[in-house]
Amino acid sequence: MAIGKEIIISAKNLKKSFHTGDTEQTIFENLNLDLYKGDFTVIMGSSGAGKSTLMYSLSGMDRPTAGTIFFAGKEITKCKDDQLAVFRRKNCGFVFQQIYLLEKMSLMDNVLTAGALGDRDKKSMIKRAKELFELVNIPEITQKKFSTQISGGEAQRAGIVRAVINDPKVVFADEPTGALNSNNSEAVLNVFTKLHKEGQSIIMVTHDKKTALRGNRVLYVKDGQIYGDCNLGNYTQGNTEREKKLDSFLAEMGW
Amino acid sequence: MRKIWTQVIYHLKKDKGSYVSFGIIILFTAFMLNLALVLTFQVDKAYDEKFNALHTATINFTVSKLQDTEQLSEALGNLQGVTEIDCREAIFSEAVVKEFRDTDFSMHTLFYNIEDVRKLNRLEVREEGQSVTDNAIYLPLYVASFGEFEVGDNIVYKIGDKSHTFYVSGVLEEMQYGNYGKGLMGAYLSGEAYQKLSEEQEENLVIEYSLLTDKNSDIEQIKKEIGNVLDEQEIVMLSMSDSISTKDTRTMVCNLLILILTAFACVILLVSVFLCKFRISNSMDEEIVNMGVLKAMGYTGNMIIGSIVIPYVMVTIVTAMIGVWCSYAVLPTLSNVLTLQSGFSFALVFDGKSLLCVELLLTSVVLLFTYRAARRIRRIQPISAMRGTGEERKVKKNYFPLETTKGKTQILLVLKQMFASGKQNVLLFFVSFVLAVLVAFASILFYNVIVKPDNFMSTLSEEMPEAIIYPKENAQEFLTDTLEKDKRVKSVLQYSVVNIEIEEEAVTTFVCVDFSKVSNDLCYLGENPKAQNEIALGSVFEENYKLGDSIELKNGNTVYSYKITGFVQSVNYQGNVCELTVAGYENFCGGESSPSLYVYLEDGNDTEAFLKEYSTKLADSITNTVNYEKIAKTSQDMFSGITAMIILAIFVLTMLIVLFILYIVIKSLLVQRKQELGIYKAIGYSNWQLMIQLAGSFLPISVVAILLSSLLGIVYMPYINQFIFHTVGAMKNNMEVSVPFLMVFAVLQIVINFVISIVLSMPIKKISAYSLLKE
Ligand SMILES: Nc1ncnc2c1ncn2[C@@H]1O[C@H](COP(=O)(O)OP(=O)(O)OP(=O)(O)O)[C@@H](O)[C@H]1O
Ligand SMILES: [Mg+2]
Repeated sequence: MAIGKEIIISAKNLKKSFHTGDTEQTIFENLNLDLYKGDFTVIMGSSGAGKSTLMYSLSGMDRPTAGTIFFAGKEITKCKDDQLAVFRRKNCGFVFQQIYLLEKMSLMDNVLTAGALGDRDKKSMIKRAKELFELVNIPEITQKKFSTQISGGEAQRAGIVRAVINDPKVVFADEPTGALNSNNSEAVLNVFTKLHKEGQSIIMVTHDKKTALRGNRVLYVKDGQIYGDCNLGNYTQGNTEREKKLDSFLAEMGW
Repeated sequence: MRKIWTQVIYHLKKDKGSYVSFGIIILFTAFMLNLALVLTFQVDKAYDEKFNALHTATINFTVSKLQDTEQLSEALGNLQGVTEIDCREAIFSEAVVKEFRDTDFSMHTLFYNIEDVRKLNRLEVREEGQSVTDNAIYLPLYVASFGEFEVGDNIVYKIGDKSHTFYVSGVLEEMQYGNYGKGLMGAYLSGEAYQKLSEEQEENLVIEYSLLTDKNSDIEQIKKEIGNVLDEQEIVMLSMSDSISTKDTRTMVCNLLILILTAFACVILLVSVFLCKFRISNSMDEEIVNMGVLKAMGYTGNMIIGSIVIPYVMVTIVTAMIGVWCSYAVLPTLSNVLTLQSGFSFALVFDGKSLLCVELLLTSVVLLFTYRAARRIRRIQPISAMRGTGEERKVKKNYFPLETTKGKTQILLVLKQMFASGKQNVLLFFVSFVLAVLVAFASILFYNVIVKPDNFMSTLSEEMPEAIIYPKENAQEFLTDTLEKDKRVKSVLQYSVVNIEIEEEAVTTFVCVDFSKVSNDLCYLGENPKAQNEIALGSVFEENYKLGDSIELKNGNTVYSYKITGFVQSVNYQGNVCELTVAGYENFCGGESSPSLYVYLEDGNDTEAFLKEYSTKLADSITNTVNYEKIAKTSQDMFSGITAMIILAIFVLTMLIVLFILYIVIKSLLVQRKQELGIYKAIGYSNWQLMIQLAGSFLPISVVAILLSSLLGIVYMPYINQFIFHTVGAMKNNMEVSVPFLMVFAVLQIVINFVISIVLSMPIKKISAYSLLKE
């Protein structure tokens, strides 16, 4: 499948379990998975299935209990904490459900906080930030506002700008629209689609079918495995064919 | 650095108040530390420089002119280690300086001819007026500044029963003499004036030998050898001094000041270190989610630690600089005060070395402690940090569940708060405790110097009668009887201060008819002498003698043996003293002595009037009188002035530190518990209730800490006093620890702490329940 595509993340025999007191809870085991460059991969599954856990393991934010992960050719499961942090600067951008903007800092400063870690000099960093803010429809006055003075949608779009300011190889998003109403969700998703069209690799966890439609590949997590894998093709607005395909895939998965 | 700069700025902005408070505390520390360091680096050096510039002798001694011989200077010249010898004539007198700081001051004075050529002990004229008069005198800086004489004034020296008035035509600096504690001073007369006085005081003409010794030679050894030379030639030494003990006396106050300043600076530094530790672990609790986000973005543990540590280090560097700068504003005043006491002038200049030391010390201490506090950030996993779990936000125990615990809900809520905040309690306890120690110290000082000044004064000095009367020969018994019959007189004691020679050195000797009647018992070990063959020695002799040993004293060729019954202290003479009974002393000098009469008056009598009455009524029997009460009062006023300043400084400092600490603690509490407070408000608690609750939650800790340290104070203060007084040479001290006084200060402190916390919790009022709940 997907022949000719470059692998960006490859997981082998992945296992993750949590210890709570004496009991061990295994979230997934012997999981194998390849993710490709330029894909907008969506991870779905029921609540508690381990979607977030899987995504954070893949990104090097969390450590799997066993198994290996190659990310952009590097075996990140071997890295130390600080090496992972440095690795994330260039390779990963994160968008969170709770957004987590730094309080008492303007949106621009929030973005520059991440930008400072990149290779750009300050001037071109600011230029790039402005471009990105424009891309996500945040005007200059809003850029100067503090994170407590803006709407949830604006905050999340700023969160996306922060995630991509250093041109990461992959953007990871964990239910980025989970806390937003439908109008705001739409605006945020449009940003992701725009980025995808520009060639950005995206991995997104979601509960929402409409959100999932934005991706070109949908994975379904169940029983600690990648239970299903569906190739949807690229998103175009109002394409009912893709919608039907997703519906039948999800029905098959027991959604 | 560039990568974490935004974070550093962010921390600084977010927590302005805390950094300002922290900075001010560091400022205080730097201020005191720099004062101490500048004094350490410069006073000693300035002293030595002036000492060398004036080519000052290391050993000076005097012998009677009648006994001086050619062989003496020859023998001295042959002594090993002596590189230069100078000698000159002088008049040795037991003079009373009139109107010295408004009182009469008795001190042994050597009058010199200023026109003599001096190889050693050169003089530096500081100020000069007209010197044409035939009774011109040049005063040493110490006499001029401490005695408050200026060029153009007249000064009266009373020698025997004759007064000599001189015109002060100059003030000069010398490095030969100590201050009045040493009991010997110089005065420099114009040629004509000297001529006149020396004719009158022919029997008191002396030759002063000044010796400069090799840097590496042992001064004590040379002093011994000089004694041997004099013994061989049967010459009596009248006085002797050496540069080491002179320097000790002259720099004593300065050294004490350095000690106090350093101690203070250390205490405050300790407090500030605890404070930044507390602040960091609190802000880590507040910011744990942000730190997770930063880690997710790719900030490493060390970068985040850096962004926390750097603001503190920056604040330290900047405020330490300001503190150092401020210290230069008070240094001139300080050096003036010290000049007054030490009798030599010095200019304290900007000191790069001390600035560097202050900066390095403070920065490295702050760096070390903030780093240690922030270190655990490295272990935090980004995911668990963002979830707010991990080891950071441990679920706290529910202390005092309201449902099941008996007691008033309001009080239980206070207890709940108190127990829920361990770190804050540790900080408060520690700070309250340390500061309470300072306050306890201040209160004891206050009690002993201002409420009961005799405790302090008697520790530092010897007998303190109200008046001293010098009887004429043979009038002693008659005077004693008359005085004893006077109703105003509590008691009369035959007591005098003389010099005898022990081990080739002149030693101040207290001679008393009955030491059981003295008002200030100097004896700290063993007993005072009772019989004529008994002696008590000063603390310097304790090294070489034991109680019960005997010591041999020589007067000319005759040797007398005395049994050592005890050891006595003397701050003024640095332990270089002894005690003899009148009989013992008369036996020693082989004849009658006529001790002066120390008169103790009943309370409420005017000493001045009393003495005036006697000097006119019994003029035939009295040579001289001294109003000792007035002299004592002068130095007592000086001490109580200084003490009051120290106490005030301690108190203000303590309260300021409490203010800053509580500010930081309460502020972080308000941030942490915003939501909780909002809920309380929504339920219907009033502002006042919440403020009392918050301030009340600090109360038990500070009460326990303050009471504990005050109670401990009763136990440890005597030791601290002992330590402090030991450094100035007092083996025992008469300082009392007054328990009620300690308690009053403790309660005062607790009340002030509470009031400050209430005031600082005011911001609770400003925030509405709605906004508190919103977040
Ligand atoms: N730090 C942890 N300690 C213990 N168990 C955990 C931890 N993190 C996650 N889990 C458990 O792992 C399982 C998977 O959690 P995860 O957050 O990956 O689910 P999810 O699929 O993202 O669910 P949702 O859709 O609700 O976000 C859950 O049962 C959860 O309880
Ligand atoms: Mg999830």
